[in-house]
Amino acid sequence: MRKLFTILMLILVSVSLSATGAKESQLTTDQPVKLTWLMLEYWNADNVIQAYKQVAPNVDIEVEKVSFGDLLQQNQIRLAAKSGNPDIVSVDVPLVASYGARNWLYPLDGSISAEDKKAWIPASVEAGTYNGKLLAAPQNTSTQVLFVNYDLLKDAGITVPGPDDRWTWEQVLDAAQKVKTEKVWGLTWEQVTATYQLLPLIQSLGGKAIGDDGLTVEGIIDSPEWIKALTFYGDCFNSYNVSPKSDIPAADMFAAGNLAMFVGGPWDIRRFAGSDLGFEWGVSRNPYFEGGVAVTPTGSWHFGVNASSSHPNEAADFVAWLTEGEGSGIWWSKDSYDFPAQLKLLDSIETEPSFQEFPLAYMKTAAQEAKVNPVPRPVTPGYLEYDQILGNVFSDIRNGADPATVLKKAASQITIEMEKYRH
Amino acid sequence: MATRMKGERLVPYVLMIPALIILFFFRIVPTILGLGESFYITSFLAGGEKVFAGFTNFARLFADPVFWTSVRVTLIFNLITNPLQIILALGLAQLLNAKVKGINLFRSLYMIPVAISINVSTIIWKLMLDQNGLVNGILKSLGANAQPFFLSSAQSLGSVIWISSWIGVPFWALFLIAGIQGIPGQLYEAADIDGAVGFKRYFLITLPLLKNSLAFVLVAATVANFLLFIPVLLLTKGGPELSTNVAMFEAYRRGLIYGDIGTSSALVFMLFILILAVVMIQSYLLKDKWER
Repeated sequence: MRKLFTILMLILVSVSLSATGAKESQLTTDQPVKLTWLMLEYWNADNVIQAYKQVAPNVDIEVEKVSFGDLLQQNQIRLAAKSGNPDIVSVDVPLVASYGARNWLYPLDGSISAEDKKAWIPASVEAGTYNGKLLAAPQNTSTQVLFVNYDLLKDAGITVPGPDDRWTWEQVLDAAQKVKTEKVWGLTWEQVTATYQLLPLIQSLGGKAIGDDGLTVEGIIDSPEWIKALTFYGDCFNSYNVSPKSDIPAADMFAAGNLAMFVGGPWDIRRFAGSDLGFEWGVSRNPYFEGGVAVTPTGSWHFGVNASSSHPNEAADFVAWLTEGEGSGIWWSKDSYDFPAQLKLLDSIETEPSFQEFPLAYMKTAAQEAKVNPVPRPVTPGYLEYDQILGNVFSDIRNGADPATVLKKAASQITIEMEKYRH
Repeated sequence: MATRMKGERLVPYVLMIPALIILFFFRIVPTILGLGESFYITSFLAGGEKVFAGFTNFARLFADPVFWTSVRVTLIFNLITNPLQIILALGLAQLLNAKVKGINLFRSLYMIPVAISINVSTIIWKLMLDQNGLVNGILKSLGANAQPFFLSSAQSLGSVIWISSWIGVPFWALFLIAGIQGIPGQLYEAADIDGAVGFKRYFLITLPLLKNSLAFVLVAATVANFLLFIPVLLLTKGGPELSTNVAMFEAYRRGLIYGDIGTSSALVFMLFILILAVVMIQSYLLKDKWER
């Protein structure tokens, strides 16, 4: 009964909040303004908030931190409730269309001009735009590289791939099979069932993520490209037996010397560079299928303003400062260290002295990789449904399900969910 | 005299008012709001506005095979879990009522699962049933094959039943122990004199007199198990291949992951009606014949 009660309470709360969510009149900027900012638990925002005090002394920014899974859910509940909290929304980029279709985000074009937008990677600006309005300003982008334990590969008699080499999946698999022992796994993916990380496998074979209307999936996610790519993925876990089914994070297994290779984000470069792993390691380019094309995933955090905020303009000014103004540099170098979406910061990785020596110089590999063939995630108002259902598909295939069968089912499942966006 | 009688008759109602107010605001109102919510959809052509849509949400659910899967999983889960938990709880209660030395220690030990938060015990079981976990370690050392448990669609529902029963059995046993202890000792003495022993004693005295406790446990367990959610959220997320996608998790997924409060409310409301129906049937069947 308690769980039913909880659900009903949530519904009650969202209904009552939506009833009282009428916007109050806006304050002028010299009066004290309090803004709330819902963000990820591992971000530190102290430096940007302190620096912004100099820019706008009357603006107080209060931070609330939650885990990744909770952040998406909290955004969902609070924005739907139109409560005005948080004022500053941390937006995972594929959700821009989803939030946009629901009118949850305040357009930023009043604080960010067309000229300002040139500060970012064009693909990121495009990803943050919905119906011609910039709804979420790009802060980070991401890419993926192949992390390699040089010692394990050399011991197995394999020539390791250099920072500029791009292996095919066939080469990666061959190496993974050679290094696999009782204690050592060959290969895995960092976000092992994440759409973000697995779509490039499919796109490398020429498969599409979604139909051009952003809603059609039948005939697309059950196409031969999807089946072939995911058969490879499933086989790594089930027939080649080179990939672990355990939920221990890939980076931890790698750091412990129990994993020879994994595809992961540039954040791991900093992590491994900061500690002595006790073995020689390196990164190389994101692999591709033989006969296919090299594709890298992209997209990461954007910041937006809650359409129900009591202080949308103050919040938008902060977001502008944070993402394309002075704040972006502070965020990158002192607060989050997440890969920047700002062109000048990406270029600074190439020239900044601290990135000239290995292992931090691998950041340069990642920065170059981010420009190779970045393919954005599908733009669809139903991304949550798409992502969740595909996440289950990846997880089922990893546990041994037949790719063709589960993809067929998922296609009809997603089609049913997408139906509501057509009305 | 008459007015005093009248006043006295009012007292119980006055005393009930605070509880009724709480019941009204925290149970009745949310239920009505939830039902109301189930008639609205988000219209994306109207810029994400909420619009009244009649039975659209219910129709969407009925047309969705995932919904029917969740209904099937919920029913299978309950048809196995409720009898299993109650029979085991009854056995456990009987054992824990034995008059042996150190029985209090045993009682405490068996109550540990109840005292541990369901989240914690679910996570501990998740680790124990992991591919490289304790249970598979023991299986391997005995020469058996490692089992996938909640990673396979064939074993996942069984694993969820196991974990929920690990917590549920001692919990329901608590009520049954109290019930058994409430049976007057003279009845057993009289039975001894009449020559009723062993199972006869159990079926003729213990069980009939436990009826009220059992009825409570049956109804409470049914409600709790129909609404089971945490182990599914923490262990399987409804998978693999929807094999553990109970109705409550489906409602959570629709409402809080997809942001579709309308169909989520519709689903919760139908679940509410289903539970109400099951509980009413149970109460009817458990009534004594003369009460009917």
